Amino acid sequence: MLELFLGVLTAMGGFVEIGELTFAINAGSKFGYGLLWVAGVGTIGIIVYGEMAGRVAAVRGQPVFNLIRERVGFDAGLVTLMAAVAVNVLTCAAEIGAIALVWQLFVDWPYRAWVAVAFVFLVLAVWVLPFQWIERVFGLGGLLLVVFLVIAVMEAPDLGEVGAAFMPHVPALESTQEYLLYAYYTVALLSSIMLPYEVYFYSSGAVEDRWKPTDVRRNRLIVVLGFVLGSLLCVALIIVGSQFFGPRHVEPQLPGVVATSAAAHFGVAGLLIAIGGMFFAFAGAAIETALSAAYGIAQFFGWPWGRFRPPREASRFTIAWLAVFALATAVILTGVDPVSVVEYSIVFSVVILPLTYLPLLLVAGDRRVMGEYANGPIARALGWLYMGIVTVAALAAIPLLILTHGGQG
Amino acid sequence: MSAARARSRSADIDRSIHLVRDVVDHEIVDAHQLPCGSVDDVELELDPPHGLRPVALLIGPGAWQRRLPSWLAAFARWLAGSAETRVPWSEIAYVGERVALRRTAEELGLGSIDRRLGRWIARIPGG
Repeated sequence: MLELFLGVLTAMGGFVEIGELTFAINAGSKFGYGLLWVAGVGTIGIIVYGEMAGRVAAVRGQPVFNLIRERVGFDAGLVTLMAAVAVNVLTCAAEIGAIALVWQLFVDWPYRAWVAVAFVFLVLAVWVLPFQWIERVFGLGGLLLVVFLVIAVMEAPDLGEVGAAFMPHVPALESTQEYLLYAYYTVALLSSIMLPYEVYFYSSGAVEDRWKPTDVRRNRLIVVLGFVLGSLLCVALIIVGSQFFGPRHVEPQLPGVVATSAAAHFGVAGLLIAIGGMFFAFAGAAIETALSAAYGIAQFFGWPWGRFRPPREASRFTIAWLAVFALATAVILTGVDPVSVVEYSIVFSVVILPLTYLPLLLVAGDRRVMGEYANGPIARALGWLYMGIVTVAALAAIPLLILTHGGQG
Repeated sequence: MSAARARSRSADIDRSIHLVRDVVDHEIVDAHQLPCGSVDDVELELDPPHGLRPVALLIGPGAWQRRLPSWLAAFARWLAGSAETRVPWSEIAYVGERVALRRTAEELGLGSIDRRLGRWIARIPGG
């Protein structure tokens, strides 16, 4: 029971990362409640595929990249692996940049110095902490972001209007460019909620925690409750964007600006809670992306992997996650704008979603290998529906990125 | 997954093994259930009355590079070398969700890079 409770809370606290924070707040600031339905659609999608990934890991003991290679073959699998590693490095870089920006709010050291400190901190955290601690420390710390839920309520949104906005719709906008920007935000917000690393990490984590077929029900509860609660944070960020930043004509790009909404309501304490929550959420995501890349490589080539093994017994896996942290840090140290790294990581993530989800859908639906735990009619119908949705989003993502000049309109 | 269960389950459903579906690109574990590679290729032998017969599992960069387009294979060779280990078919204990071997990775010459790097990592505190 306690395990379940902690599982739900860590899933909730680990839901938000820098890309989602940025896109949710700006979605609210630019389009009011016009994109709330995307949060709903994305949440159901990540629940559907998160549940499948956890179930396959529990029943077959196999994480996602084992399945990708088995089902789509070596060539297509290798392409997926390279794309996934590239996207994970980019996402990890975005999180490291965001951590440095957050720390800079407290002590005015040069940005690059904080980037280096973040690198050392993350490496030590993964090296020292057992897997369950990594999940819990950062997942539970990320719950500080609940402060945005409180702010969203205090901003007194019209609940009828909020409820109605969950029906998929396209608001009336002024120009074609505005519609393109709306489409870009739709794809980006969907991507930020359904980021592929979440599925890689969740399924590998289930193997790390040695789930058995009897854990299938626990998996379902954690995914449904944890992700619904987590998406409440995303909804809260959209509402705060709409109620607080929209009227002030602010499009917050930096985490510190987002935190000013907490300062406006709760003063210094609010600011500290918001920034603390961001730090844990970003650090958790940085660790999850680095481990996800290493999980993927090790699983694809059949190397021993996992934090349940001491580093010396999974040496190539260990070197892989260290290398991802190093590479991500190097990307940020070049001085590239962390906000654009966030944008690119989100847009390229959606491109690899269909390749990640298809093998999962095929295996989870295969009665020969899953037996009684194969997809039922609901999982099958939703699975194929979302396969269609992410494929459309994947095809539209890069053209929209170009047409909107990277979301600038 | 215990050895016994995987065997009984695959026996319930289907006694024969489909080489491409059940063996190629599946994870390999040794006698201690330690992952030691994926089945990157399979060596076949012509056995006239029965057609082709599998004689060995081929594991390592050298084996999977043959499956890539030549430009990518050249890059992979530069990155990962082209070592390749051959494990005779008779070393397979059973084919389930994974291909399980009868002996340890060390005895079969698998995972040697991991062991070599592991000795370095073991010197770091906490490694």
